[in-house]
Parts: sequence; C-alpha cells; structure tokens
Amino acid sequence: MPPRSSTSAFKGPGKGRIMKEIDACRTDKEAKIKVELVDDNLSHLKGTFEGPPATPYEGGHFVVDIQIPADYPFKPPKMKFDTRIYHPNISSQTGAICLDILKDGVAWSPVYTLKTALISLQSLLQSPEPNDPQDAEVAKHFIRDRKGFEETARAWTALHAKDNPDALPAGMDISVVKSLEEMGFSRADVVKALSKAGNNADRAAEILLTGA
Amino acid sequence: MKMKIKRWQAVAVWKWDLPDEDDVCGICRNVFDGCCPDCKSPGDDCPLIWGQCSHVFHMHCLLKWLEQESSRGQCPMDRRPFVAASA
Repeated sequence: MPPRSSTSAFKGPGKGRIMKEIDACRTDKEAKIKVELVDDNLSHLKGTFEGPPATPYEGGHFVVDIQIPADYPFKPPKMKFDTRIYHPNISSQTGAICLDILKDGVAWSPVYTLKTALISLQSLLQSPEPNDPQDAEVAKHFIRDRKGFEETARAWTALHAKDNPDALPAGMDISVVKSLEEMGFSRADVVKALSKAGNNADRAAEILLTGA
Repeated sequence: MKMKIKRWQAVAVWKWDLPDEDDVCGICRNVFDGCCPDCKSPGDDCPLIWGQCSHVFHMHCLLKWLEQESSRGQCPMDRRPFVAASA
C-alpha cells in the first residue's frame, strides 16, 4: 500500500479545533455554509456557500478550496475558489482571493474560524473592492462599465456556479479533461483525479489508472 | 450514641472565576476549565490570562499568538495592545 498522507500528517494543536469547526458547521443547518473533509486528511477541506441575493452571484453555489497550515489557527487558512467566478478581488484564472483577513500578518486573528472566513468571502461577493484588485482586468471592467461587468458576472455564475455538467473548477483545462476522458474515464472521476493531482495531467492519469 | 471523630480529610475543588462556566478559549476552542491543546491536565499548570481589555485566554494559547510576528502584540479579540491585568 502506498504511504498515506492522512490524519497523521497533521498533528498540530489546531487538529482538535478543526474537528470542532467541522462539527459546528454540520450542526448549524441554517447558515448554509458547509465545511467538509476532502479525504481523511484534516489539512485539506472544501467550503461551500450560496451567492448572496441581489448580486450577480445569486443562485450560484460556490466551492472554496481550503488548506490548513500546520500552525493554524495562528496562521490563516489558505483559501481559493474552485468555482470560477468573475469578481475584481478574485482571479478569474486561478481562483486566488484578495482579502485582508486571509493574509498572514495583515488582519487574521486566531479567534476567526473557517466559518467566519467563509462568511467574509460571501460578503466580499456582495461588496467588491475594485481599488484593491486581484484581477486587474475584471476590476477595470467593473469600474468602466458596471452594467457590462454585472452581465458577465451573472453569465459566469450561470455557467460555472449552477448545476452545470460542463462547469470545471478554476485552473482546470478543458482540453486536458477531454484527453483523460478519451482514456475511458468519466468526467466526475477525471475532475476528481485532476484536483488531487494539482491539475498535473500525468499524475492524474496515474491516479485514474491505479485507482489510488 | 456518641461519636468521636478521630481523623478527617478535607477535599476542595476550585474553578476559574468566569461569568459563563461553559465559555471556551477563543484561540483553541477548549473550555476554560479544561486546558490548552498542549497540556494534559487543567489547573495551575495551564492557567488563564486576563487582559486589561477584559478578554480571557489560556495563557499558553495567548503566548503562542503573541510569539507570532503577525500578532503585533495585539489582543486577538479587539486588536489593542495586549496588556495582562494585574491580579
């Protein structure tokens, strides 16, 4: 059996806290914010939330990739959008996020939680900060032509954040996905393998072939 | 019937003086009457620390935060410079 980088890899004092945080999100059904384990490794999670109403993101379902550093909660969690999104403070290519509380040494505090961080992301969708952009092109569009920006953002929400079988996570190349599908694997398995392999096609193929 | 007490043994318990007994440390989320994640047993070996701002933490949790450069010596709750309250 291959060596497993499972729970044993993450032994920091934050481990108990992560479990509590996941439990708290599970029991709180009203907040509509979910935090789930990807596998049995407590340092890799996925968060999901709904796009805020009366915004171009309304009706969308957004998935955020969460990496927990070993010294959490003294260092902030690393978050990026898996779901592609058109927003001045989020990279339209990689899903990278520009938000002060997620930056070490800027505004993170150990009393924040994954849930408060995800709520902050939700409110970032509600109030973009085009003057502190992550994606300069999107920010330019936002400042120059607000209506056009909102149309594009709404179209991206419909395409990527709603139940759309063609939607791919940020950073995933459709041609790579297709080439792996041609090997006879389903779209769902290919997407799963690629996210596990950090979008490396060769490693993803290996995962698919060995069933790891 | 008369009884004569020859020997007795006193047992006492103590608790931290907190407004809410079920309150948890904002840093590790363990109850205050428990201990920080690095300690095995609660009590004198894993004390609490109060700031002048009235915020409470496990002392070990707070010290670890203050060791981080990014803390800038601030209370995690209100971002004012953390000054321990004198007893």
